[in-house]
Amino acid sequence: MLTFAFRKLVTLIGTMIGIAALTFLITNVAPGDPARLVAGPNATEDMVATIRTEYGLDKSLPEQFVYYMGDLFRGDLGTSIVSTQPVLEEVMRYAPATLELVFVAMALGIIVGVPLGMLSAVYKDGPLDQMTRIFSISGVALPAFWFGIVLQLLFSVDLGWLPVSGRLPLVTRPPDTVTGMLLIDSLISGRFSTFWVSLQHIILPAIVLSFPCLASILRVNRAEMIEVLQSDYIVAARAHGISSFRIVALYALKNAMLPTLAMIGLRFGWMLGSTVLVETVFDWPGVGLYAVSSALSSDFKPVVGVTLMIGFFFIVANTLVDLAYAWIDPRLRKA
Amino acid sequence: MFGKIIRNIAIAGLLASSILASPASAFERTDKGNVIVFGGRQAIPVLDPHIRYDWSTRMMQQAVYDGLVKYEGDPAEIKPWLAEKWETSEDGKTWTFHLVNNAKFHNGDPVTAEAVRYSFERGLKLNKGVAWMLKDFLAPEGITVVDDYTVQFNLKAPYTPFLSFLPWWYIVNPAEVKAHEADGDYGQKWLTDHEAGSGPFKLGRWEPNVLYEADAVPDYWKGWPQGDANRPAGVIYKIIREPAAQKAALQRGEADIVEGLTPDDYVQIKRAPGIAIEDHKGMTTFGIKFNTQKGPTADINLRKAIAYAMDYDALIQVYNGAATLETSPIPDAMKGHIDVPGIPRKDLAKAKEYLAKSAYPNGGITLPYVHVAGLEEARRIGLVLLDSLKPLNINVEIKPEQWPNMVANGSKVDTSPAMTSVYTTPVSTDPDAVAYQYHKNSWGQYFAMMFYDNPQVSEMIDKARSSSNWDERAKLYADIQTQIVADQPEVFGMLQKRRWARRDYLQGFQFSPVRFTGEVDLYPLWVKTE
Repeated sequence: MLTFAFRKLVTLIGTMIGIAALTFLITNVAPGDPARLVAGPNATEDMVATIRTEYGLDKSLPEQFVYYMGDLFRGDLGTSIVSTQPVLEEVMRYAPATLELVFVAMALGIIVGVPLGMLSAVYKDGPLDQMTRIFSISGVALPAFWFGIVLQLLFSVDLGWLPVSGRLPLVTRPPDTVTGMLLIDSLISGRFSTFWVSLQHIILPAIVLSFPCLASILRVNRAEMIEVLQSDYIVAARAHGISSFRIVALYALKNAMLPTLAMIGLRFGWMLGSTVLVETVFDWPGVGLYAVSSALSSDFKPVVGVTLMIGFFFIVANTLVDLAYAWIDPRLRKA
Repeated sequence: MFGKIIRNIAIAGLLASSILASPASAFERTDKGNVIVFGGRQAIPVLDPHIRYDWSTRMMQQAVYDGLVKYEGDPAEIKPWLAEKWETSEDGKTWTFHLVNNAKFHNGDPVTAEAVRYSFERGLKLNKGVAWMLKDFLAPEGITVVDDYTVQFNLKAPYTPFLSFLPWWYIVNPAEVKAHEADGDYGQKWLTDHEAGSGPFKLGRWEPNVLYEADAVPDYWKGWPQGDANRPAGVIYKIIREPAAQKAALQRGEADIVEGLTPDDYVQIKRAPGIAIEDHKGMTTFGIKFNTQKGPTADINLRKAIAYAMDYDALIQVYNGAATLETSPIPDAMKGHIDVPGIPRKDLAKAKEYLAKSAYPNGGITLPYVHVAGLEEARRIGLVLLDSLKPLNINVEIKPEQWPNMVANGSKVDTSPAMTSVYTTPVSTDPDAVAYQYHKNSWGQYFAMMFYDNPQVSEMIDKARSSSNWDERAKLYADIQTQIVADQPEVFGMLQKRRWARRDYLQGFQFSPVRFTGEVDLYPLWVKTE
């Protein structure tokens, strides 16, 4: 088990270096001149040169790459040319918002997806099953962007139930930062009204983000449930006269949950990546929004920084799932 | 069973609505008073007045800082501000400014001649942001403190547009900046998200990528135009990136004023109760810039043919009428503007005549039209162009491009596309601000991507900017405008109106065409409460 974990760790580090190198190259060969952009529309050549020198953009690409990787090993993600701030600081500032959103969306996906999957497996081909099928197909097919705007129009503009965007009302000051996640921080500092308003703010973006994930959890869970429900031991259990509820909720669900768990691990990383769209629609100030605005202004280092962060969490989540699997099923340790 | 589920959901929804529903909150009220909320699409990464400017940044800089003079009104006029009066020497090289003696920085320090000198020196030495405006004519050593409230600028050469740039040079408090200096950076790091100004607002919350708050200074040295009773407690600039979300925020009263809605949104929202549209003639010109040095568009006859084939009325329709056609490269709101006689309008016979004289008498070519990706109106203008050039048998390839890439491509003759859609906002009201875009020295800038080369025009521009005699300048600018139109380095398009949608209780809005597209002077705004 220990060697297995160690092997995973080595792969993790190797992958991280690979991600860093690849993202650096992709972002730097893309056309666009960040120095000129930052210098402003009327800047003269020597003003642009001042900025190039300041940010090391006057050096050749291989040189820049060597410096960048060197800094990376010292834990320095470089400086954003647009905001003039260290990228690491900014990623740390924006990451909690994204993680909070992903956690809530994940929870939503599990709380709604698992029972719905179970129900549609039990009432296979019934009306409920048909409903969830439509629901999950649209979950995968609906563009997050469009879906987000529709929800905004419906719940914010027409019904007036929920705020349009952001994390907090304008005049509400954020609670003292502990984790950076407002739901948790407001509870820690005992500000329940702040908890309540930040909950209102997270509902719509979390729904949009969780929708495709919820749909796939539902489908996987349904498929597994159907298979498990047909297996011999369930048939045997039924023959022994155990109540259907007990069979489904206890015996079947446990076994059906394994593939669902794997799906959740995968979806976690996927969600981190898709916050980019959701955060843009809802002006959710997380790393996704940060990455988009940086990419649009050719500000390369934040883009690499965010990619590294998302890659890191992606790999960690997958590794955890692998480890959990290996722990549950010893046959996998040799693979 | 389903009926039950749906009924339960409906009940839950109703319950939730009764808890969550709050009436459209309008402006935000705090214990100190009303706070105005401005919804803008663009972030403000760096507040430092000497290293960065664009519309959102400058709006906040104008709120917390003062300049020697200030632009106000439509047409924009230069008003005394920190300087109550000034005079110019006979040769146009020495400018002397007399400061008011009651202005003070937010920390209580007086605004002195030394602070002015330091601020200009800082701007010039950092060589970023605003530096280009003055650096060819003013050296840091050329600024002298005469006495506590008098400062003198000695220019290297006479430069009449000098005054027209001063409103954008904000005065910082040297004591505070020096106290926060790190490694001789002139306080750049600190001034990114702090301020050391004397303006009507103090910087409040600074939450990058979310919102920026400015709190009113109750005893602002210049007083408040709306009166102390009406003065807002502050202003919040909230970033709302999507036009759809902006519209929603305005309708819900989460924002009191927004910029950047689509033309169709403005038509729709005009009918909504409690909302007013600010619709003003701006100075932002739209042109389709040709590469006049390389490729087919180096041929003036082809350029003329395209200019005469263009459907100009459709340009206005793209904006649902909220635009006016250009009658000269220099916008109407600018001094020295003339209506250039014979500026091309759609005339297919003439277009064909010019095409026959060109190297492509039968057309049969494809020209790229590049526009900023995501700018819907620019894309639609591309479709108009495509349609307009069909009779000439010229095909148009519409290419969206990210802004940084467009700027990079346009900085070199070889990569500058045959046709690019460019919006340009002049930085000052002096005609030089537009004319200089057609000077050879501007090559490399996005607005000069036509690489226009007419030595005569360059010479006239140089002469006009150093002359202090307005009559002489006016004549020169008339000739410059006529000559540029004759050379057709671009299709002269239209002047887009500047528009904002605001709640009708928001009063005191003052338009000035010299401000950038979304920029609003926050100082005179107030909320009218019943």
